[in-house]
Amino acid sequence: MTELAFSMNAPVVAHSPRAVAANATAKMSARRLNFHYDRFHAIKDVSLDIAANRVTALIGPSGCGKSTLLRTFNRIYSIYPKQVASGELLLDGENILHPKYSLNQLRSKVGMVFQKPVPFPMTIFENVAYAIRHYEKLSKAEMNLRVEQALNQAALWDEVKDKLKQSALGLSGGQQQRLCIARAVALKPDVLLLDEPTSALDPIATSRIEQLIAELASDFTIAIVTHNMQQAARCSDFTAFMYLGELVEFGPTEKLFTQPGKKQTEDYITGRFG
Amino acid sequence: MNPVQSPQNRTSQRLLRKRSAINAIAMTLSCAAALFGLVFLGWILWTTISKGLVGIDWALFTQSTPPPQESGGLANAFFGSAIMCGLAILMGAPLGIAAGTWLSEYAGARRIGMVVRFVNDILLSAPSIVLGLFVYTLVVAQMGTGFSAIAGAISLAFIVIPVIVRTTDEMLRLVPAQMREAALSLGVPQWKVIVQVLYRGASAGIVTGILLALARISGETAPLLFTSFGNQYWSTDLASPMASVPVVMNQFTASPYESWHTLAWAGALVLTFFVLVLSLLARAILSRNKVRHD
Repeated sequence: MTELAFSMNAPVVAHSPRAVAANATAKMSARRLNFHYDRFHAIKDVSLDIAANRVTALIGPSGCGKSTLLRTFNRIYSIYPKQVASGELLLDGENILHPKYSLNQLRSKVGMVFQKPVPFPMTIFENVAYAIRHYEKLSKAEMNLRVEQALNQAALWDEVKDKLKQSALGLSGGQQQRLCIARAVALKPDVLLLDEPTSALDPIATSRIEQLIAELASDFTIAIVTHNMQQAARCSDFTAFMYLGELVEFGPTEKLFTQPGKKQTEDYITGRFG
Repeated sequence: MNPVQSPQNRTSQRLLRKRSAINAIAMTLSCAAALFGLVFLGWILWTTISKGLVGIDWALFTQSTPPPQESGGLANAFFGSAIMCGLAILMGAPLGIAAGTWLSEYAGARRIGMVVRFVNDILLSAPSIVLGLFVYTLVVAQMGTGFSAIAGAISLAFIVIPVIVRTTDEMLRLVPAQMREAALSLGVPQWKVIVQVLYRGASAGIVTGILLALARISGETAPLLFTSFGNQYWSTDLASPMASVPVVMNQFTASPYESWHTLAWAGALVLTFFVLVLSLLARAILSRNKVRHD
């Protein structure tokens, strides 16, 4: 992306009420967010802002709660019994954890891409058109246009334009993952959640997706979970480091990786633990 | 130094010889065991084919079961079997798929789900004659119409249901959890996700389950003895007794008449062939859909 996102003046630290500086507004904000898997306390009092049209990376060792945190952003956890989030999680100032907040509305605004590419067992076209159909009644021509747009945004159009009627299961892993991204962006969400989107892919497909993340950031607010620190450093504007369910440090990516404020962060990014 | 002469080498040669000998013995024993099983299967098939082919002719499919010592066919029995098996699948498949879906998608690992799954497994291995008696008391004895094709189809449906519940449940649980999450994260309601995404992912397995259930009931005799009973004549009336291949075979093989024996063998051959085709079809469907999601 062209804009330099590290241009924030004040150092940003965890729990700061002004977590994002003036040039970037908060799209989503967690306020004293807690999460329980039955009795296990997975996220402890986390507060942080996800800046609009920026890429925010969540890093930390396995089991630190970074994926769990991401999964609260579209409440996908709620399909499982005994998983409970408490506190506040604001999307455009509205608390999405409030029971009256419509899940349907939330998920049309917050799209998600998962670790393993999971195309639906349908054609490539249908994979993208499927969810659009649930929300909008489009004519055939409009739908074709929407699908093409989405596939273009996911940098997949050129590779699949001649085989839209073929099964999506025949695509390569990297293509499948970009199809999943196309499927998510086709709904024109505000926020895209990426849960370790490249951990099942080879290096070439990975760099393709990373490039794509940079391009997508101009249209979407992106939160990405990754256990690859280089990836966080390469493609995010802000980075949150979590450990044992707590947010240890949060700030501009450059600062966090070059002048970490906490000993734990420094130990983790230099590879001393994790 | 000649390497063959070295003591280590001689030891390893000895070890190799010993291991080769053990390997040969194990191989012989396991081949013999496999052969033992195959011989009987081959024998059964050979007997069925050689004795059954004698009775295969046009009349077998066009004429109804004859009185003793007269010529005839099994047309009424084939028709009855087809009708009752078809009805059983029509009744059992929707119920089985619905129940299997509930188990996999809604009950999951909850206690009630585990109890239902366990009860279904019991039903799966219940002796079919018990199911026949159950339908006899429940339908045949209550309705006043006596034995009927409907009652026969219901008792076969009781065999179909647990098979399809089990396969639907298992096939849906094989669909990766991330597929559900991905579909739900698009804001699509759960029932739509199940019907439009998960069923597609599991369709090959579910269809295979239905075919295997059909194969299973097409040879069932016991549940039909007290329900559809049997009918010497061509009948299309679902409310009256109806002939079926296994029941006719049961009756004919127990008789002293040579012509009945021939017909019974021919029926056995056709039935075996039908089950073989179903199994091959099930395999073909499964292997065509081998594309997995990882």
